[in-house]
Amino acid sequence: MSTALPPKPVADRDTQPFWDGVDAHRLLVPRCTSCGAWIWQPRPLCPRCHAPDPEWVSVGGNARIASWTALHPPVLTVWAEQVPFVVLLVELDDAPGVRMIGQLVDGDGTLLKTNGEPEGLAMGAQLALRWRVDEAGQTLPAWMLAG
Amino acid sequence: MIRNKARQPVVAGMHALPYSKDIGMTERHSGALAILGALDDAGLTVNDVDGICRYVWQPTTEMEMARVLGVPNLKWFGAQDYGGGAGPPTVALACAAIELGLADCVVVWRSRNRSSGGRPWAGQMLAEGQDQFERPFGIVRPADGIALLVRVWMNAWGWTREDFGRVAITVRGHANRNPAAMMHQKPLTMEDYLASRMIAEPLCLFDNCLETDGALAIVLVAAERAADLSLGAPPAYVTGYALGSGPQVYAMTNYYGEDLTRSPNAFVAPELWRNTGLKAADIDVVQIYDAFTPQVPLFFQEFGFCGDGEGAAYVASEDCLTYNTSGGGLSEAYVHGFNLIVEGVRQVRGVSTTQVDDVAHCLVTGGNVVPTGALVLSKEPW
Repeated sequence: MSTALPPKPVADRDTQPFWDGVDAHRLLVPRCTSCGAWIWQPRPLCPRCHAPDPEWVSVGGNARIASWTALHPPVLTVWAEQVPFVVLLVELDDAPGVRMIGQLVDGDGTLLKTNGEPEGLAMGAQLALRWRVDEAGQTLPAWMLAG
Repeated sequence: MIRNKARQPVVAGMHALPYSKDIGMTERHSGALAILGALDDAGLTVNDVDGICRYVWQPTTEMEMARVLGVPNLKWFGAQDYGGGAGPPTVALACAAIELGLADCVVVWRSRNRSSGGRPWAGQMLAEGQDQFERPFGIVRPADGIALLVRVWMNAWGWTREDFGRVAITVRGHANRNPAAMMHQKPLTMEDYLASRMIAEPLCLFDNCLETDGALAIVLVAAERAADLSLGAPPAYVTGYALGSGPQVYAMTNYYGEDLTRSPNAFVAPELWRNTGLKAADIDVVQIYDAFTPQVPLFFQEFGFCGDGEGAAYVASEDCLTYNTSGGGLSEAYVHGFNLIVEGVRQVRGVSTTQVDDVAHCLVTGGNVVPTGALVLSKEPW
């Protein structure tokens, strides 16, 4: 049971601003307007002080590698010809403590076909934000190795 | 803890259907047979059953199972969530009801066609909730989810692939002694391990559990009830149990909190020791949830069998406690960890194919990268 399309993100009221930002090539991260805590994943209340309606802050997107994996078969059909590729856990420079998932791409935002051993791939390595359009036309934040 | 000896939960019966790649029946069917087998093992019938607990992921509800079996009335029912974390918590839910006197005879089961039924991750194409920030990017399989954490653990403590290979080889050795194990006739060497293909780096094929059709059940009764039964085997007393989540927990993708080197087990362990009055040195054998090899060294350090970061060195040492004696999820069968619970009962009964001498206490855990729990099965009552 598989499909030629990638899993489709389904936004809800608490996450829609993130995906609207992605469509405009802006990386938006929620931050508490009361205590200033960065919040990830998005949620309706600040988990620290319970203030409602976190504000969506546009961040630069520079990041460091907190971890990575490289995917090998068996994978979803849509990725069968593209593996191995690297999936990153990134920690954002502008939103300390916020870690999010993204794929490793080249400077054009194209998914890199590579295993987990490209030069420069290491814990703490610097990354720059790029935008990737996936196989279903969905824009996704992605990162390239910087420096 | 206030303890009423008359109400101590006792595993009076257990049963496992033969494991296979295609069991040839629905999970409803195999689950019912497992429960009937466990009741028979305990000398009980469906008329004695007044409670059923299940995994949330079990597609057959307690009520549907009660209809299939013809249970006259359920005084207690419930389910526990979080995939492979649900094993000990589901048993704990049954135990709590027995201790409180809300039920006298509760069956717990897991039946799963994880081989013939296909891979659940391959069909979930709408990414809602937490999934919207993970699945579209490739974190789809359970192996993908844990791989990112395993890299963190390797980086933090210098763990190597050989450390994980040792786990795979050890449990395979147990499976080689267990005729019921899927991998009974397949030995595994470090050479085999290191040569196997990658799945989600740094995890290779042999770091991953099997994909199995299986069905298992246990029957729990109050100690005062067990005394009236002519049990065919020694009872396994539940000395205690604990659940835990930790802060900001995400099942399988627990990446967003402050400390990626702590699993929910770090919060289960102190509660289990408090609830049981035991310590690591009192445990004779363990059944560790092993969907992935790195979960084993993490278990040992989080439960205090060794120091923080020393899990891999402990596993490699001669002092390492015997674990996963049936072959576990890696080499016996992967049935969401329920085979670990049944193997714990076997160790207490003294009938494992890799039997440890004089087992007083066997610890059984659920998956440690999801909200989870653990329990202790014992030879003697409170």
